[in-house]
Amino acid sequence: MSGQIRILSVEVEDAPNTLTKISGAIRRRGFHVRGISVGPSREPGRFRLTLQVDHGHAEADQVRKQLERLVEVLEVTDLTGDEVHSRELVVAKVSASELEALLRRGAKVISTAADGTTVEFSGERDEVGAFVDELALHGIVDVARSGPVVMRRTQ
Amino acid sequence: MILEALEREGVEYIFGYPGGANLPLYQHLPEHPKLKHILVRHEQGAAHMADGYARASGRPGVVFATSGPGALNLVTGLCTAYMDSVPMVAITGQVPSTVVGRDAFQESDVIGATSSVTKHSYLVTRIDQLPRVIHEAFHIATTGRPGPVLVDICRDVQQADAERVTPERLAIPGYRLNGHVDLEGARQAAEALAGAERPVILAGHGVILSHAEHQLQELAEAAAAPTGTTLLGIGAFPVKHPLSLHMTGFMGTGWNLKAVQNADVLMMVGMRVDDRVTAKLAGFAPKVKTFIHVDIDGSEMGKNVRPQIELVADAKQAMAAMLPHIGELNPGRAAWLTQIDAWREEHPLRFKRSNGRLQPQDVLIDMYRRARSEAIVVADVGQNQIWAALWWNYDRPGLFINSGGAGTMGYALPAALGAKFARPDVPVWCVAGEGGFVMTAQELSVAVEHQLDVKIVLLNNFSLGMVRQFQDDFYGGVRSQVELTHMPDFVKLSEAYGMPATRVERFEDIAPAFDAAERTKGPFLIDFRIDPEANVYPIVPIGKTLNEFWEAPES
Repeated sequence: MSGQIRILSVEVEDAPNTLTKISGAIRRRGFHVRGISVGPSREPGRFRLTLQVDHGHAEADQVRKQLERLVEVLEVTDLTGDEVHSRELVVAKVSASELEALLRRGAKVISTAADGTTVEFSGERDEVGAFVDELALHGIVDVARSGPVVMRRTQ
Repeated sequence: MILEALEREGVEYIFGYPGGANLPLYQHLPEHPKLKHILVRHEQGAAHMADGYARASGRPGVVFATSGPGALNLVTGLCTAYMDSVPMVAITGQVPSTVVGRDAFQESDVIGATSSVTKHSYLVTRIDQLPRVIHEAFHIATTGRPGPVLVDICRDVQQADAERVTPERLAIPGYRLNGHVDLEGARQAAEALAGAERPVILAGHGVILSHAEHQLQELAEAAAAPTGTTLLGIGAFPVKHPLSLHMTGFMGTGWNLKAVQNADVLMMVGMRVDDRVTAKLAGFAPKVKTFIHVDIDGSEMGKNVRPQIELVADAKQAMAAMLPHIGELNPGRAAWLTQIDAWREEHPLRFKRSNGRLQPQDVLIDMYRRARSEAIVVADVGQNQIWAALWWNYDRPGLFINSGGAGTMGYALPAALGAKFARPDVPVWCVAGEGGFVMTAQELSVAVEHQLDVKIVLLNNFSLGMVRQFQDDFYGGVRSQVELTHMPDFVKLSEAYGMPATRVERFEDIAPAFDAAERTKGPFLIDFRIDPEANVYPIVPIGKTLNEFWEAPES
């Protein structure tokens, strides 16, 4: 299935309708969002989205082309197959007694409280997946996970 | 300020309907006599009228509607325009910005409801946005691949005082126009076309929108390439031209489909290559080695058929760039043209006159004999649409208007009225079945109020003919909910609106009825009681390839 996933970096206008338009275009063409992250871009008034989209039976390049048709979309870069830095973030609350194993994996403590310790961990999708699997063994109180943030590697 | 902006954009007609959320616009309308407002009887009628106006004039159609139900009634009309790339600007009133999101009276999320059927849309909540937004809306609606743009304006913004502002310079960084032709691609396309043993060109609505009919004809002649059109491309290439393949697609002519299915190079210009053109995609044009696709919208490339040569450009510029590179033609060309002529002889358009009933084709043949290429035909959707497409010999663009992509029943009457507003000098014929006609028949008021010289040809078969034909042929012969009983007496209905009408049941009454229509100034309706068993042919059965088309029984 991963052959059907496109990874796109999308620069958009910060307008009230932008996310609706993008998700609408993706839905209408029969694509499916597998991961998304949104944050302000360097330019004021603009946001950068990282999208992982399953294009189903449509031609791979259709995702980029359909997004480019939207007036709110300023630039679409298809990063699929490129050498990239990709990071996802997970924040989890666990009971203090279980902390040791997570710290060995590279988690960082954010805060400690009576009902548990909150840690953060970031990494490639697979690493984050493995970290979450590990969490499951240690009694998670709560967990939140981000979509990917992707940037092309410099040569 | 909105009305001033519309005047600046050169707007002549507004098709609209007032209501609570656009009252300020209507309050000031009388101060702008240059803006002629046509009061419709349903907002859907306004959208189709603006659509017909736009297709007949080449200028954007403008629509007004109020919030909530008013704006939502536009959705079908916006979708019709969107699917067929028709320039339109719809200005809808929205509840005051202070109550947006609170489920106010007649509030609805119009932007949300129309996003997928508009090229772009704006919600205006502040007066300072207005001049820029109106100017952008017209720019986006009319440039590149045209389409409808919706501007939803809160009522308080319509009322706000503002100093007269001239629009800022356009700055729409996310709006890309594909202007430049890839010259290397154009050369390759020309060489492929000239070098082909069995070339075919298919032309769509894009050729008409880009006014590229002369370039198309020059290219077809230079390359000696048989040329057909899509339903919406009708008129882009003269039907009686020796190279004409007439209409393509699953109700296209037999010789067209034979040509497409045997071509080795297929050039598709200004078209989406949708399922009505390809029929079963896996068996579409199976002998083609080189598909050439020309379209101004890059997302059409490979959406349905992957081209070997793609030109993302305006059809006129692309074909003009190809022309100088048409060199020596493949020596097999003469044999190919002979083969096409043989198919044309072998698979002519035909229909059966056997059961003594009035045949729709006879009606259209008589109509064409009178009107030639001097009239605009606006067709509805269904059998009437395909008969009107196939049985007139359209020889230039703009004479055949119909809802091709969306297939909107009820389109013809309001669109014909819009076309007449745009071209008062040209005869306009509305061809509709009785099923579609009653969906928007209330717009007869507009025809009578403005004494629009539109002749309505009702092909009345007492049923939903196309659905009935599909049920007969492809759905087990079960006729389900296709008989239209308890329909009005259309002559009396016309008279109730204040316009003359007549009824025709026999072949010999066709001509006198048309004579009466032509003698009458203003609107006129003819209720043709046609053979309810009349079918559309050729037709490709659902799920089959273009090779498997059925023809009309021999008469």
